[in-house]
Amino acid sequence: MTEISLRPLRNIQLPIDAPEITPNLLATKSEAEISNLKIWEGNAKVELSRVFQVSVNDDGDTNKTLIRIIGNVAKVRRIGYRMETGSVIIEGNVGMYLGEEMSGGSIVVTGNVESWLGVKMKGGQIEVKGNAGDLVGAGYRGTTLGMNGGSILINGNAGDEIGCWMRNGTIRVKGNTGFMPGIHMNGGTILIEGNCEGRAGAQMRGGKILVTGHIPSILPSFTFEDIQQKAKFGEEKIPGPFYLYSGDLNENGKGKLSVSIANNPQLKWYERYLEV
Amino acid sequence: MSELIVKNGFVYDPSNRINGERADICVRDGRIVERVGPAAIVVDASDMLVMPGGVDIHSHIAGSKVNGGRILRPEDHVKDVESHTAITRAGTGHSIPTTYTTGYRYARMGYTTVFEPASPLLKTRHTHEELNDTPIVDKGCFPLFGNDWHTMEFLEEGRVEECAAYIAWMLRATKGYAIKIVNPGGVEAWRSGKSLVGLNEQVPNFEITPREILRGICKANQLLNLPHSIHVHTNDLAKIGNYETTIETMEAVRDLAVEDRPIIHVTHVQFTGRTGSAWHNVGSGAPEIAAYVNKHKHVTVDIGQVIFMDTTTMTADGGFQYMLYQLSHNKWMNSDVEVETGAGVVPYTYRPRNYVNAVQWGIGLELALLIEDPWRVYLTTDHPNGGDFTKYPRIISWLMSTKARERAMRKLNGTAKRKLDLQALDREYSFSEIATITRAGTARALNLHQKGHLGIGADADISIYNINPKEVNPSREYRTVRRALKAAAFTIKDGRIVVKNGEVTETPQGRTYWVDSEVPQPLASEVESKLRRNFREYYTVEMDNYQMDDDELENSHKITVKARL
Amino acid sequence: MMRKNGRLETVAYDEAIATSAQILANAKYPILYGWSSTNCGAIRTGVELAEWIGGVIDNTTTVCHGPTLLGVHDIGEVGSSLGEIRQRADLIIYWGANPVHSHPHHISRYSALSKGRFRKDRKDRTVIAVDVRRTDTAKLADHFLQIPPNSDYELLCALRMAVRGDELEQDVIAGIPADKIEQMADLMTGCEFGVIFFGVGLTMTSGRHRNVDGALSLVRDLNARTKFLILPMRGHFNVTGADQVSAWLTGYPYAVDLSHGFPRYNPGDTTVVDILARGDCDAALVVAADPVSNFPVDAARRMTEIPVITIDPHPSATTMISQIVFPSAVVGIETGGTIYRMDGVAIRTKPIVHPPPGIRSDEQILRDILTKVKELKGL
Repeated sequence: MTEISLRPLRNIQLPIDAPEITPNLLATKSEAEISNLKIWEGNAKVELSRVFQVSVNDDGDTNKTLIRIIGNVAKVRRIGYRMETGSVIIEGNVGMYLGEEMSGGSIVVTGNVESWLGVKMKGGQIEVKGNAGDLVGAGYRGTTLGMNGGSILINGNAGDEIGCWMRNGTIRVKGNTGFMPGIHMNGGTILIEGNCEGRAGAQMRGGKILVTGHIPSILPSFTFEDIQQKAKFGEEKIPGPFYLYSGDLNENGKGKLSVSIANNPQLKWYERYLEV
Repeated sequence: MSELIVKNGFVYDPSNRINGERADICVRDGRIVERVGPAAIVVDASDMLVMPGGVDIHSHIAGSKVNGGRILRPEDHVKDVESHTAITRAGTGHSIPTTYTTGYRYARMGYTTVFEPASPLLKTRHTHEELNDTPIVDKGCFPLFGNDWHTMEFLEEGRVEECAAYIAWMLRATKGYAIKIVNPGGVEAWRSGKSLVGLNEQVPNFEITPREILRGICKANQLLNLPHSIHVHTNDLAKIGNYETTIETMEAVRDLAVEDRPIIHVTHVQFTGRTGSAWHNVGSGAPEIAAYVNKHKHVTVDIGQVIFMDTTTMTADGGFQYMLYQLSHNKWMNSDVEVETGAGVVPYTYRPRNYVNAVQWGIGLELALLIEDPWRVYLTTDHPNGGDFTKYPRIISWLMSTKARERAMRKLNGTAKRKLDLQALDREYSFSEIATITRAGTARALNLHQKGHLGIGADADISIYNINPKEVNPSREYRTVRRALKAAAFTIKDGRIVVKNGEVTETPQGRTYWVDSEVPQPLASEVESKLRRNFREYYTVEMDNYQMDDDELENSHKITVKARL
Repeated sequence: MMRKNGRLETVAYDEAIATSAQILANAKYPILYGWSSTNCGAIRTGVELAEWIGGVIDNTTTVCHGPTLLGVHDIGEVGSSLGEIRQRADLIIYWGANPVHSHPHHISRYSALSKGRFRKDRKDRTVIAVDVRRTDTAKLADHFLQIPPNSDYELLCALRMAVRGDELEQDVIAGIPADKIEQMADLMTGCEFGVIFFGVGLTMTSGRHRNVDGALSLVRDLNARTKFLILPMRGHFNVTGADQVSAWLTGYPYAVDLSHGFPRYNPGDTTVVDILARGDCDAALVVAADPVSNFPVDAARRMTEIPVITIDPHPSATTMISQIVFPSAVVGIETGGTIYRMDGVAIRTKPIVHPPPGIRSDEQILRDILTKVKELKGL
């Protein structure tokens, strides 16, 4: 395995755009070549070695590449861009667009990530030990094409609009989320184990959202279907019981929203719609 | 002052009957001249194809709905960017390029004149602001008439001469070049929340039919002596089988023709060239339309060819755009303009396996191949409705090569392929005919005497392509043709080299052409008074603020004509 | 004026231009903000300057109707110029907008009290107001729906359901009983020509651009039943012009990042409030705006930590913290140029007085800075 370690030399002030920091690109490069790669620092391109201390450790097995970033890289964008194999470990906080368009391999972050985590992701795995920002697994402005595969796990909290325009893949948040998870969703699955601020599944056409924590209310465009005893998240069975809704009817949607009964007593009144 | 000579190229100048002969082109002070001195800059065009600079008669490049499209579709721009250089401005492209990018890309392709074909009167100041920021090419715009209350009120009462005087006032106020008519009466219907079918129903809220509007404006155009004929996007674009309306439109003004001069230009005929009663049995109306155009010389057309790509539709035909939204479920922007017209923008992807799209693609090519006179049929994509303008070389390769067409048809929906006549058509365009449908013919239709040809006195707008027309067989080597036409070896604008090997070298400011038709008194004042009353009653802007001053155009070029009033 | 020893002092114009150009040309991630109270000529120059210095150009849309544009990117917008409302509208809805105060001529010129070809007077029109409190606009409406703050999205959602003819399962939504919502939907589908005017009540409350998304979708749905339009109540003088100019030059209406040499756009990332809050930028040019007063505290604070050059006719909190201040001519009074009305109609303004001696237009000052920047960049 080739392990490439990058340590920021100082506190990074300007925004750094570094799609070059991705296993596919760095796999075959020497330490000198990596140091000389040019990345954007504000409005100028600089050698990577001006921003990071670079060291490469190669044990001869060329099949695996690991990029380890040690330090606060909250201002470094697009790490893991289009990666297909290999792994990236970030020991610190990391910036926007992490794992953009990735199709394979894995990324692990010990700290927090900024917004647009896994934007346009197609495959592979991302795990964040801390919190994530908004628009996890989304697309860019104006598109109808968000995440199309792969899995994202956030151990902390996530922001608003996770899974926006999502088509496939899974997003799991162990903590809480903000508003509108799964907005405009077309497919895939979102699991929120903490609380959700509300408006889950807004304007969705397909896909599945599971909330095992608390959500204040359900949108009027979702219709109550039934009580389900358990729900599936991939292969995993999540014990319920859940209130099951489908929607968004305003979009002729056939998405499914399952909400924990135990944590949402305020939704009990929907039971009047149960077929007797 | 500055002299230049294009040496030794194979020149195609159909207006002057030069058909591939080796010739030198001499330039002085921006014009083509007989000869130049030994100090002239030499452009070595040996073994290259030389044509007049391209003249695009119909391309949506500037104005309110174009910009609305840009704002609607940030995702369109991400795919295609232009970086800032010492000479060129940054920009974005794909289906709705920014203004600087538009100018550069046309010039790179060897085009030197472009017309924005649909500008709402109230918003033409905006159109000109964008044209001012479109570098290199000469340009102009066609303001929209035929759904505006002024026109309909005049024509309801049969007052053609006053209508003409009003149109002259408007062209001067908006610095417009020609009269554009989109779905006459139909857009007023759409603005009212109603519908209108065909040419013979009453327009809601008015006592006039589309046929009467067309005829009235056509007469007004003749009275005003305008350089271009009326430029018409016909009614029934939203109707499935609509080719008959197209022919009916052409026929509706036939008796007004004087000699063989064209008096109506019907634009993007592909879009209104369909047969059928439902989407699954749509077919090509190109044979019928071509037969009519071949027989009747009062008509010119442009094809509005479809390209299989993700593009953006935008027209003043608000009702049609709504229908396209309903069919595609794509996002939809609508922008009605008080008193005057409408607009709509909807992204759309044309797919070869989609039956209707495949038929549409076939109709455009059939029109070009079945209409015999290249002086009356022009190459457009109705940019960006059918596709973006940088795809013209691809269309040229289809027209010049049956092999290229066969190849393109491989992915075509099978049912559509069988339904179209296209496979049986073996006509192949020559370089001379291509020069006609992209330059000579369009310049003639626009009556721009110094454009589209390389005779003495013409503007020195010259395109030189790195392809040897004597050695390359376009029928077989269509890819070579396409590649060469995409990026000119040289583009010369007013005698200056602006593009070299597909790269922009200079960015002069082109001219903005507009027409002033002189209307006699007291007619002009009478009509202006009527207009003043209309402004007070109908508009939310002041009439004095409405009119544009000459200095609002960065390079104003007025063409004066005398009205026959 | 330039800051020397902590105080703003008068200096020669050329010195100020040269120093400004130095600061901007050397900056590694500068922002160029404001633009909404100046003319299009100045904005065009601003975009060119942003290209040359590799910065981010953003206008006041970013703190106002940015959410509207974000909604438009997803849904589109069924709109028109203002005169169409006057001529034809028989149902007018003000949502989260209080034109009696924010746009004093709106109601009499363009809507409820205006005289149209097809709607001769007030009796021919029905007015509905939707807001969190009974505003002065609500007082002159025929119907008023008072909703709790931050519940617009739910109400829009429910209205869409009712317009489609779907049954509402909840009895009360956004504080409004379901049958009242259905009544409002009936008014909307039953009219001949309806319009929703919406303001910051929609764009700046919980949901933000998704509220607009909801409103744009509702109006789009309504067009299957009747003619219906939606128009944003835009403020800030020429903010519409700033968006238009930016879009035709870069493809994007605001928050345009030119630091990589070509236009990039992503509100949340390239919006100056966020850039300032993160401390990403190292210099600022402010034209005809007062961000220090209007921005959130984190963003405003950053402005005091970087060199700021301001071009503005009036003193403000921003000019007070600036390194360099250029007093400029007031657009529409001392200098002309085009501006765009809220519905996108371009208007030419003409000066009615000369500016005081030594005071130049924004456009002239920007041109001079740009010329110097080009020199510094080796042109």
